[in-house]
Amino acid sequence: MKKNARKRDFIERSLIGILSFLKGSLFAEEHALKSGFMQSLDPRIKILTFAIFIIATLLAKSILLVLSLYLLCLFLACISKINLGFFLKRTWVFIPLFSLFIALPALFSNFTPGEELFSFKFAGLALVITRPGGLTVLLFVLRVATTVSFAVLLSITTRNFELLRVLRIFRIPQAFVMVLGICYRYIYLFIGVIENTYFAIKSRVGTAMRYKRGQQIVGWNIAFLWVRSYQLNEDVYKAMLSRGYSGEPQVLNNFRSGLRDWLWLIFVGVIGICIIRFFH
Amino acid sequence: MHNTVFSLKEVHFSYLGKFPALVAVDIDIKPGEKISIIGANGSGKSTLLHLLDGLIFADRGILSFCGKELNEKNFNDVEFSRNFRRKVGFVFQNPDVQLFCPTVKEDIVFGPLQLGLAKEQMHRRLEKLVTILGIQDLLNRSPNQLSIGEKRKAALASTLIIEPEILILDEPTAGLDPQTSRHIIDLLIEENISGKTIITSTHDLHIVEEISDLVYVFSSDKKIVKYGEPEGILNDTALLKANNLVHIHSHRHKDKVHVHPHVHLDHHEGEH
Repeated sequence: MKKNARKRDFIERSLIGILSFLKGSLFAEEHALKSGFMQSLDPRIKILTFAIFIIATLLAKSILLVLSLYLLCLFLACISKINLGFFLKRTWVFIPLFSLFIALPALFSNFTPGEELFSFKFAGLALVITRPGGLTVLLFVLRVATTVSFAVLLSITTRNFELLRVLRIFRIPQAFVMVLGICYRYIYLFIGVIENTYFAIKSRVGTAMRYKRGQQIVGWNIAFLWVRSYQLNEDVYKAMLSRGYSGEPQVLNNFRSGLRDWLWLIFVGVIGICIIRFFH
Repeated sequence: MHNTVFSLKEVHFSYLGKFPALVAVDIDIKPGEKISIIGANGSGKSTLLHLLDGLIFADRGILSFCGKELNEKNFNDVEFSRNFRRKVGFVFQNPDVQLFCPTVKEDIVFGPLQLGLAKEQMHRRLEKLVTILGIQDLLNRSPNQLSIGEKRKAALASTLIIEPEILILDEPTAGLDPQTSRHIIDLLIEENISGKTIITSTHDLHIVEEISDLVYVFSSDKKIVKYGEPEGILNDTALLKANNLVHIHSHRHKDKVHVHPHVHLDHHEGEH
């Protein structure tokens, strides 16, 4: 019985955790609404400059250069009023550490021969860490951390709908961008529906539920959600028709770029060219 | 202008061809009129409004707008369709349906953009509307972050910005607090004074008198059972009771138990 209760508790915690993660990561815009440097830039130029930074990071072969780009990213986070502790946690917790584990074998002389830096025995095996191996792993991890940091900085300082709208500059069809926008809008609504349905079930059946019964309830709810989304789909289409939609959506395009945006673009462009030309 | 905006003769509609939603409906709506459609849940009010907005089409009977029949063939004519959408605005019962864009501002300007309104004119109307409705702070927010009252105001703005001659509203005050409800009613009255035709479906009987010149009562068998001026309809307690629009209400005043029909008309002021 206790084991079952723990299992249910696990399911409940997972469900609530997933829903709150989705809400927090997809819909929380607290950093994008701050009045920092990154938030003040035209999203089109911001995306372009971040693409330059990421490409430059990937092409740079010097650890010092990648480290400089990483420090620049941290500086940009600071002047964008992003808490550095939060930013480091967000950027280092998963991907760079994961990449460290992937790159770990490259440290050793078996994969990267060269000047010995350090040697030790592990489970009877003599392992030698080489200098080129260490530098390769350091460059790889630093590169991953820098690109992830730039990507995270872009996503947390830009409102989601602006990121979607910028897709248009890449000549992605208007209808596709609009469908993405509608999806983004209604995912939140359905998260609410799932949460409320879960609490409604919990309030009626309490905690004692057999495994089979639980499966049935989950099955009904998937079906219910599907029917709800189908109805919503029809109603939204009617609402679009009612306001003159005829198959070719026209949308608001009110991006504005000022002197500060152009100066920033020139600055980043110069950095990008220098890295590609002189350090590649 | 034509002397009737909407004319319905023996209009029938059913879902999937077998679940009747409207039976033999006859209505004539003149320009500048205020019309209310009242009836219990499932009596066909929303279906009628969807028909009037050309979102669905009658199975039988004739529904015409300014003398021209509303059918799929006519809506295939781009000019007719665009002209109709410019003249007729519909506010849906569920504002979440109407607010499908990532931000409130994009939702409000969606209609004018589709209908090819000049940008300057659109921005002028937007500014005017946000001031009237007091929704300046909501423009850059996602509809997800709004309360039901704010959503209703945004949905109303997204229709009013088209400046339609005929405004159709499906339960515009459902679930609203009294102050927001009052704000919306006042706005509708002002729109009517400026010459707009207002067609509203509601259960909320205490707003009917203000927003109607004529009231149509729908029964559970999807027919019009009576129509007339609001005073006559609202005083016909037997009719309202028979159509689930009032209920018997029993409560105690000190040591006296008091039983009477609860009309939601004046919240029994003066009766106590």
